Amino acid sequence: MNAVRRGIRNAFRNSMRTVGVVVILAVAIALSISMLIARDAVTNKINTVKASTGTTVSVSPKGFFGFNGGGTPLSMTTIDALLNLPNVTAVQESFSEELSSSKTSLTSPTPAGQLGSQFGNGGGFGASGSTTFVIPVRVIGTNSPGNAVVGGANGGGTEKLTSGVAFSPTSTADVAIVGSTLAAKNNLKVGSTFTAWNTKITVVGIFNAGSTFTDASVLMPLATVQKLADAPNEVTSATVIVNTIGNVSSVDTAVTKALGSSADVTSTQATTEAALSPLNSVKTISTYTLIGSVIGAAIILLLSMLMIVRERRREVGVLKALGAPNRSINSQFIAESTTFTILGAIVGFVVGIAISSPITSALVSASGGSTSSNTGGFVRRAGGFAPGGSGFSPPTGAFANRGSGAFHFGGFSNTITQIHTSAGWSTLFFALIAAVVIAALGSTVAAATIVRIRPAEVLRSE
Amino acid sequence: MLKVENLDKTFRTGAGDVHAVRDVSFEAKDGELVAIIGASGSGKSTLLSLLGLLDAPDKGSIDLDGIELANLDSPGRTQFRSRQVGFVFQQFNLIPNLSARENVKLALEFAHWPKNDRDARAHEMLNLVGLDASKADRRPAKLSGGEQQRVAIARAFAAQPQLILADEPTGSLDKATGQKIVELLRKVANTQKATVLVVTHDEKIAKKADRRLEIDDGILKEIT
Repeated sequence: MNAVRRGIRNAFRNSMRTVGVVVILAVAIALSISMLIARDAVTNKINTVKASTGTTVSVSPKGFFGFNGGGTPLSMTTIDALLNLPNVTAVQESFSEELSSSKTSLTSPTPAGQLGSQFGNGGGFGASGSTTFVIPVRVIGTNSPGNAVVGGANGGGTEKLTSGVAFSPTSTADVAIVGSTLAAKNNLKVGSTFTAWNTKITVVGIFNAGSTFTDASVLMPLATVQKLADAPNEVTSATVIVNTIGNVSSVDTAVTKALGSSADVTSTQATTEAALSPLNSVKTISTYTLIGSVIGAAIILLLSMLMIVRERRREVGVLKALGAPNRSINSQFIAESTTFTILGAIVGFVVGIAISSPITSALVSASGGSTSSNTGGFVRRAGGFAPGGSGFSPPTGAFANRGSGAFHFGGFSNTITQIHTSAGWSTLFFALIAAVVIAALGSTVAAATIVRIRPAEVLRSE
Repeated sequence: MLKVENLDKTFRTGAGDVHAVRDVSFEAKDGELVAIIGASGSGKSTLLSLLGLLDAPDKGSIDLDGIELANLDSPGRTQFRSRQVGFVFQQFNLIPNLSARENVKLALEFAHWPKNDRDARAHEMLNLVGLDASKADRRPAKLSGGEQQRVAIARAFAAQPQLILADEPTGSLDKATGQKIVELLRKVANTQKATVLVVTHDEKIAKKADRRLEIDDGILKEIT
């Protein structure tokens, strides 16, 4: 029987003690596991939310809010320079104009309605205008066809071609991709033409973005719109693409610094961080509790092993007298402590996995309950919009605030607390590593004590 | 053949130095049973610890079959102890959760006996000390004191050591059993040609030895 087998057998030498040590270890390991799972679940949720917010920073002229705000268009040269900032992979630029019936042959498919009349004529909510308001046709010049309408400024959604082809990002041709409802309203097909700024424009594609507002728009090459609108080198919005989520904040700061007071720079990062702050608290709590419970388990095992070594001092002396090397005796005690740890881990894993979901929910509820009111967006109220508890979701489901600051977080805080816990292989692997660390820490001091035992002294005390 | 020369050991305590073994010299032949008698605190256990390489002497030499042991380092002492020294204790000191057979095999494991031979050797030794085969798989708690000491003797001799050190081996036994144990020690010593040193208080036990040595205040002398 080798030292390891002797150690395993020794673990069952005193059944009462074995049960006691295993139960205490199991409690500590169960706590560790549940905290590990909670931490993983919360981390996954944080990453998911962060990933859904995208890696973009939006730039718009200071005070610009769609066509309801003011501001001066940005210089394209200035925006192009943002490409040189660290961690910036691309800059998407657009120049938007709203064309009234005097500037285009197109008719908007969107009825003005009460809101259109209200905002279009500049009156208060519920006021009736003196003339009939007609929604203008929105033309977006973009150097990024395919991503031009993402975000609030350009209508939201992601345009998908339903027919035809897209134009090149650097195109200067008098071509357009027309929103599906606008195309239907004006009987446009690929190859059809319409006029804008007294110029004949050829439809090369029809797109659908799933948004009534967006699908009533026209996408054209940026250079073409700048030329026709007599606005060379002007940009009304830009989207800076960042290489990773983790760099969004630093790029946001760098862009703000580069553009100074001429632009509003927004990213979802700050809002996301604020909304995720309860989850970050839970993550911190679970991390510290995890560390504490691992250390606690190690201390429990260490004290147990110290007690056992002390109790078996004479036996260790006899083993040494018989010629057992320290290595063999250490292996025996390490095997014994590892056996305790494995038994505790088996029970602890089962219990930990079982309690991880309610513990995570309790932690998230407790933490989120005190902070959820801070994540409120805007609610529609009589007489206008005011800060409130639950608000708009962006049109595409992305928590976008890229175009003009039109969208804010609100109701999505409700989904943040819906966390799914699961014990993945990686979690269990790390838990196993933690258990081995516990066993190693727990038996280290015991092993050091064994080395110091002198058989002559032990046997002399007979 | 054991040859001890000018062995000396002093312990430093808070109350001053304790000279436990003073300039001890003696010889013992293979297969010889030597009794060491002495009062409590006379230094006999310290002498046994030095001879068993459990402690290092301050000076002097211990020569076993031509090998000088006094200067061995700690791993060397451990290795030599596992193969060439056997211990028999007053309290038997069997490992309580191992059976009689497993206790004997423990000594064989530390002496690096071939794994396949250990079972047979343990069986042979338990037979030699007269332990009923039916008791070989019992734990020490299920054996009488005499039986436990037989197991301890079987364990001490199992790896065929050259030197057996028995510290009051009959101290926890009744007289009749004690006599049998000493006879057993002599028998096994003769069978295996090992030198046996028995520390005892009991004159009757000592008289059964081939030679008697007396230790007093750390000084050893032969009783003729």
